[in-house]
Amino acid sequence: MLKVNNLYKSFGVLQVLDGITTQLQQGEVVAVLGPSGSGKSTFLRCLNLLEQPTSGQIYFKDVEITAPKCDILKIRENIVMVFQHFNLFPHMTVLQNVTYAPIKVKRLSKDHAEAIGMDLLRKVGLVEKADVYPSRLSGGQKQRVAIARALAMQPEMVLFDEPTSALDPEMVKEVLEVMRDLANSGMTMAIVTHEMGFAREVANRILFLNEGKLAEDTTPQQFFTNPQCDRAKQFLDKML
Amino acid sequence: MRFRSGQFGLFSVKRFVPLPRFARLGRSPWKLAISTFLLIIMTVNLIAQFSVSSVAQDIPKVLQMGTSADYKPFEFHDTSGGEDKIVGFDVDIARRLSEDLGFKLEIVDMDFNGLIPALQSQRVDFVMAGMTPTPERKRNIDFSQIYYEAKNTIIAKQNNSLTTIASLYGKTVGAQLGSTQEEAVKTMNQEAAKQKKPAINLVTRNRVSELIQEIKANRIDAAIVEDTVAQGYTGVYPDLQFSVIENNEGGYAIAFPKGSTLVAPFNKVLATMKKDGTLERFAKKWFEDQGKPAGIGFQQIIPSIPYILGGIGVTLAFTLVSAILGFIWAVVLALMKIAEFKPFRWLANAYTSVFRGTPLILQIALVYFATPQLVGYDIPAFQAGVIAFALNSGAYVSETLRAGILAVDKGQREAALSLGVPYRLMMTDIILPQALKNILPALANEGINLLKDSALVSTIGAADLLRRATVVGAEKYLYFEPLIIAAIVYYVMVMLLTMGTSVLEKRLQRSA
Ligand SMILES: Nc1ncnc2c1ncn2[C@@H]1O[C@H](COP(=O)(O)OP(=O)(O)OP(=O)(O)O)[C@@H](O)[C@H]1O
Ligand SMILES: [Mg+2]
Repeated sequence: MLKVNNLYKSFGVLQVLDGITTQLQQGEVVAVLGPSGSGKSTFLRCLNLLEQPTSGQIYFKDVEITAPKCDILKIRENIVMVFQHFNLFPHMTVLQNVTYAPIKVKRLSKDHAEAIGMDLLRKVGLVEKADVYPSRLSGGQKQRVAIARALAMQPEMVLFDEPTSALDPEMVKEVLEVMRDLANSGMTMAIVTHEMGFAREVANRILFLNEGKLAEDTTPQQFFTNPQCDRAKQFLDKML
Repeated sequence: MRFRSGQFGLFSVKRFVPLPRFARLGRSPWKLAISTFLLIIMTVNLIAQFSVSSVAQDIPKVLQMGTSADYKPFEFHDTSGGEDKIVGFDVDIARRLSEDLGFKLEIVDMDFNGLIPALQSQRVDFVMAGMTPTPERKRNIDFSQIYYEAKNTIIAKQNNSLTTIASLYGKTVGAQLGSTQEEAVKTMNQEAAKQKKPAINLVTRNRVSELIQEIKANRIDAAIVEDTVAQGYTGVYPDLQFSVIENNEGGYAIAFPKGSTLVAPFNKVLATMKKDGTLERFAKKWFEDQGKPAGIGFQQIIPSIPYILGGIGVTLAFTLVSAILGFIWAVVLALMKIAEFKPFRWLANAYTSVFRGTPLILQIALVYFATPQLVGYDIPAFQAGVIAFALNSGAYVSETLRAGILAVDKGQREAALSLGVPYRLMMTDIILPQALKNILPALANEGINLLKDSALVSTIGAADLLRRATVVGAEKYLYFEPLIIAAIVYYVMVMLLTMGTSVLEKRLQRSA
């Protein structure tokens, strides 16, 4: 479904991604782990071209999305992203947040978009908040709305960048719950997270980044019980 | 000679120069006859060539007359009862000209200073505004024969001895900006220099009414003013007196653009009016009921209050249209300023720098006077004002807007992008609404400033609140009273606007 070939990214003289090559299968859930500053966010942001890679190719369903003539907006409709700080639109109600892009970008009718939106809000348990503004929501509720908003585009893949890192501990669970359901429904997902338990339980594969290099690309079983490189060992010692 | 108010009513000695005294080049009647003859031949030729209908003359169907209607009794606004008419001695003459020559008269009111530029830019066809044909003016425009001989007077406080030119040496003396009285004072100073006397300190103001206030405030010792006008003011203010300066060669004539073909036919009609006593009749009508004020202060203004209040609509419409156009322009500029494409940024920044770095009143004057000459469009004062205000306000608001846009969390932009929202939609639906909310107080301030600054369009003659107040002041020989009324109205409007925006702000605060 997604193929990454020899991906490089640098900001000025700072080399952040250093030749990453990997693949994601349809329905696969990949956890991207690594120490702070190792390039996890940058890697994820390259996948939907929020960052322009310096070199290398990314293929989405055999279409090269890094090619200059590629319609990036069309790709982003299919590869949506959920952010650490939710980034809900504060001047729109919860339902408007969820239906805005389907109506304006996918040109669904308002009724159709709202039907999809309400259905998703039900799935994340926030139907009763449909007409509330985001400022009235708790962090966990905000992130669940943000996930509903992303799913309303009916994407083929969802990228999560530390979706629970900005949450109070008691709210982490409700968000992870929603993500677990999503994984079980067969959605293709790439998740940057520091929730080791969650990664181990839900992910099919672990990508371990270190200093911009893909240090390990393996199963959770293998990674958590028998990490290959020293850096991964140190990382796990610190995290667990 | 020294007159006190009320004592001067001897119109019978009115002074019309002998007819052959033509303004331009001192032409003789002979030359006039010849040029008229040539003109007729040329006209006949033209008619023959183009077989135009037999009534065709070289006078256009509609002629625009420029005037500065704040010079009672020659031209002023009659505002009693709320409706506004420009009337006066000059206007009666112009109407008679229009009847005799068969053109439709349109009067364009503006500042006295703007009249000669208006002639030069062909914005008006002729000017009647109590204008004296001085040699300087004759270099740039043409004049008819003199239709009214004016005398300058010294107007000063009662009981001081400022009654002769010699008594003015070393004093501070006012004159209307760009008027012959200003020239007269300069001439006096040349004389003073010859006699080795201290020079007169010349002070100019846009209006005679302002000079009168300066005398009353003791900021100037005296002012040089035309005699009928002086008569009017001393009638209203008994503490003032005036003295006619004898050796003055003033007089009023109709002004035309250089080379205008209207001069000859106008002179012909003026001659007829002089001969059949029309000029004398008009003079009686306008100059003899001077100095009889109806009540004091505000009492006199009451009939004109509806007229002043009529300016609210103009002021509000002006502010609203300028604010909206200015805002749209500001959005364009702000987007250019945050664009990736560098030349856009340079352009928008240079534009902002120029419009913030020059006075608004200058921008208004440039738009108003330069547009007809550059693009050939005779832009009305209201439009010129709106354009200048929109261009200026756009520069200021674009800066505010740019800051507002940059202050929106960059996560908003990323969230929109990652949902496939195109740039334009992202700006209009996501970024700008949030930016606007941030800068709403600044925008409200800009609106209030626009409302107050709108008074600047009165300088190009748009009939806004301030202009109407000054017009009424000129009509009634009063200064403060109409301005105080205007000030109250401005204040009420600003307060309402302030309250409105704070309500709006609270409501927006609640929504997010
Ligand atoms: N837009 C940018 N411009 C310059 N440098 C950047 C930019 N974005 C990221 N970097 C740098 O690139 C490196 C990798 O950043 P990245 O955010 O991908 O790390 P991360 O693995 O997500 O870290 P964390 O766990 O702290 O989120 C860091 O050194 C960061 O400072
Ligand atoms: Mg990160």
